[in-house]
Amino acid sequence: MHKTADAALLQNAKKIVSQCDRCGACLTVCPLFGARDIEASSARGKNVIARALAEGGLDPGPDVAKAVDFCLLCRACVENCPSKVKTDEAMVDVRQYLADRKGGTAVKYKTVGAFLKNRGLVKLASGALSVLRRLGLNKVFPHGMVPDEYTKAHFLATFSGPAALGQRAPLSDVAVTKATKVAYFHGCGMRMMFPAAVVETLEILRTTTRIILKDNVCCGLPHLAHGLRGDFLTLAKKNIRTYEDADLIVSDCASCGGTLKHIASFFADDPEWKDQAAAFSGKAMDLSEYLAKAGYTPRHKLDAVLTYHDPCHLVRGQGITRQPRDLLRATGQFVEMEGADVCCGGAGSFHMDYPAIGAKILAQKQANIEKTGAAVVVTGCPGCLIQLTKAAEASGKFKAMHISQVL
Amino acid sequence: MITDEIKKRLRDIVGPENILDSDLDRFGYSYDSSFVPLLPPNKPDIIVRPLTTEEVSKTMAVAFEYAIPVTPRGAASGRTGGSIPLKGGISLCLDRMTRIIELDERNMMVTAEAGVRTIDLYNRCAAQGLFYPPDPASWKFSTIGGNVAENAGGMRAVKYGVTSDYVMGLEVVLADGTILNTGGKAIKNVTGYDLKSLFTGSEGTLGIVTQATFRLISMPKRRGTLQVMFPSLDDGCATVHMMLQAGIVPAAAEIMDRVCLETVARHRKTELQPGVQACLVIEIDGETDAAIATQAERIEAVANTCSAIGFRVAQSQQESDELWAIRRGISSAVAATAPNRLGEDISVPRDAFPEVVRRIRAISEKYRIPIAVYGHAGDGNLHPSVLCDLSNPDEAERVHRAIDEIFAATLAVGGTLSGEHGIGITKRPYITQALGEAGVRTMKAIKQALDPKGIMNPGKIW
Repeated sequence: MHKTADAALLQNAKKIVSQCDRCGACLTVCPLFGARDIEASSARGKNVIARALAEGGLDPGPDVAKAVDFCLLCRACVENCPSKVKTDEAMVDVRQYLADRKGGTAVKYKTVGAFLKNRGLVKLASGALSVLRRLGLNKVFPHGMVPDEYTKAHFLATFSGPAALGQRAPLSDVAVTKATKVAYFHGCGMRMMFPAAVVETLEILRTTTRIILKDNVCCGLPHLAHGLRGDFLTLAKKNIRTYEDADLIVSDCASCGGTLKHIASFFADDPEWKDQAAAFSGKAMDLSEYLAKAGYTPRHKLDAVLTYHDPCHLVRGQGITRQPRDLLRATGQFVEMEGADVCCGGAGSFHMDYPAIGAKILAQKQANIEKTGAAVVVTGCPGCLIQLTKAAEASGKFKAMHISQVL
Repeated sequence: MITDEIKKRLRDIVGPENILDSDLDRFGYSYDSSFVPLLPPNKPDIIVRPLTTEEVSKTMAVAFEYAIPVTPRGAASGRTGGSIPLKGGISLCLDRMTRIIELDERNMMVTAEAGVRTIDLYNRCAAQGLFYPPDPASWKFSTIGGNVAENAGGMRAVKYGVTSDYVMGLEVVLADGTILNTGGKAIKNVTGYDLKSLFTGSEGTLGIVTQATFRLISMPKRRGTLQVMFPSLDDGCATVHMMLQAGIVPAAAEIMDRVCLETVARHRKTELQPGVQACLVIEIDGETDAAIATQAERIEAVANTCSAIGFRVAQSQQESDELWAIRRGISSAVAATAPNRLGEDISVPRDAFPEVVRRIRAISEKYRIPIAVYGHAGDGNLHPSVLCDLSNPDEAERVHRAIDEIFAATLAVGGTLSGEHGIGITKRPYITQALGEAGVRTMKAIKQALDPKGIMNPGKIW
């Protein structure tokens, strides 16, 4: 990478963090400061580190790299900030700057990045996770993080008795007009970890439209978050081309959906891609957002008590809170939990990089879920679902499911 | 210089996990929320995070023995550099001391450790129907020890006063580690000097406040929020005066000028009503809905005689919360509009409020520097925010002259440098001008008596 690109990244980060007047409002909402209450863990601490780095007050050493990596990118601070300082964007920029400077990001992320870029490998992995181990990636995707299979069939069997099994509601008569070409975005996390939920998503989508399946590539978020911006842009361009003929792109992964919606902003200064990228981002929709628009009625109404965890990339990334709750109210007995929108500590690969901190944040989430008495915690993001499945196993009092498995 | 041997002694006192001394961590404890430049950083040599008063006392004993500077710190949300370790040494971070020790409902008093967040104290009391009124804009994250040390004010000062009006007793660790308990729950108490008042607002230069007992009042049963728009700042100020003179005492009366309102409008992507130059946000409280309604009507009548062009009563808790969130966030939001913001905290006799604002406007024009003005119209404490780019030398020079003139104007109308933020580092150069030689000499004599080695938050106030 050449110097000018480096400087631009750092200047961009500086532009963001110089808006921070260090008031401390983020200290009360940053989940990481909650788990490890020293200044460098907080959003304020990291903003100031980024600023000092840009202004030459700190050297770009390993301590700084560690500090900027120690961020969930959950945007809780942004939401609570009087000046809406985008700490997450600044951290992504600084990570990229440090990666470029060193001539590359951590080997671990490079490997994962390359792995996710290769569609063939992801497909293989979704069939057999042993591939991961064969590739020596079991440290990154430890076997234990692949949750026990818990499917819609189990859900119905548990909560509605055998009579409800196999029941299907009639096709929705609400037209997202026949002419609307709705395509599905098959995310890596969903594909590798929750294939059963993908089956349900597609089944639900088919009740509303003739869903178009594409051979899409990774949304690029893992690359973007860990200093592989070039890869992110390449993947984005591929996906833009792939979905040229679709009117809508539905994602059942909060992180993919959020990324697709934000792709436009990364091409705003690129005359060749600007318009296509804007059109592409404009077409992206979260599953719950689409279902609400399409007037979808869940296939059943059960007595199951359900609670909902807001994925960061839905609640703050896309401003989606009402739609999934409305859907859950229509399908079961919905109970709101305390701190539903607080990050679960998953945050992509964060929970693997910092298992103790991730576990501490998750323990609070688990307690909040248990307090509702819900039998199932529902969410719309595979990253969260991995965490929530761990919490479910630890607790034994509830199950964790993807939203498409309960609708 | 803190030797390994001293570090070991400090580790033994608070436990190794509560000592930080890596370069990056030292940087993390080098700043606060003031406009003191980030670079070069004022790094402490070591950060010590005690859990108990005893640990604070032992830490101070070590510091005293080796004459190591000690700067106490809570959430570092202060606006004047109070918690910046200007001379290095120990950053004594009290944020682990978070116990609310006692809520004494019969005497209506609460005792809490220094690291308790202001809002947590408020909520704990509110749950029992008791009211701790001081509410600095930072109350959601500031800590009570810092509130006492800076004698923090807030929106509700016009009716309920400031932190010192509620301090009944303090536990203070002195420079040599001695633990002093002063004041208590007796409401009338003239036994000896009023030391609790001396330590309140002493900015960590006389001792470390580790625990405080506050008196409480009963929680008003009903609250209402009003928003009134005016064609000029003078009309807004006049409304507040006429209200107070007519015996209507609002719980808070906050004024914002056009620059602030434009910032808010930009943030919320809304259009500002044309012709609006100022906005008052008023909180009223009382026993019944009827009492609230009557006050609101009377305020509306007064505002109308002062050419109000918009009058809105918040219809829901949410609407009211939003209005106050705007006001509480205004300082940071305004700060974000310019590369540098020098925020001041002048306080003038209430009737001089419009006059000092007029003078600030003139100074702003004279030096061609935008100055946003907002503040507590009800009590005469206002926050002119000088918006500038200090990297431009010519502009920096104009800014400094503008600030000198703001302080001169403040003193000329009978006001003072700081209403609620303290002097810290940022207002130090003006202290003699404000207090006079005798005032400064008297204070220095007190400082010398209590801190003979000059280790308590050195470099602050003067």
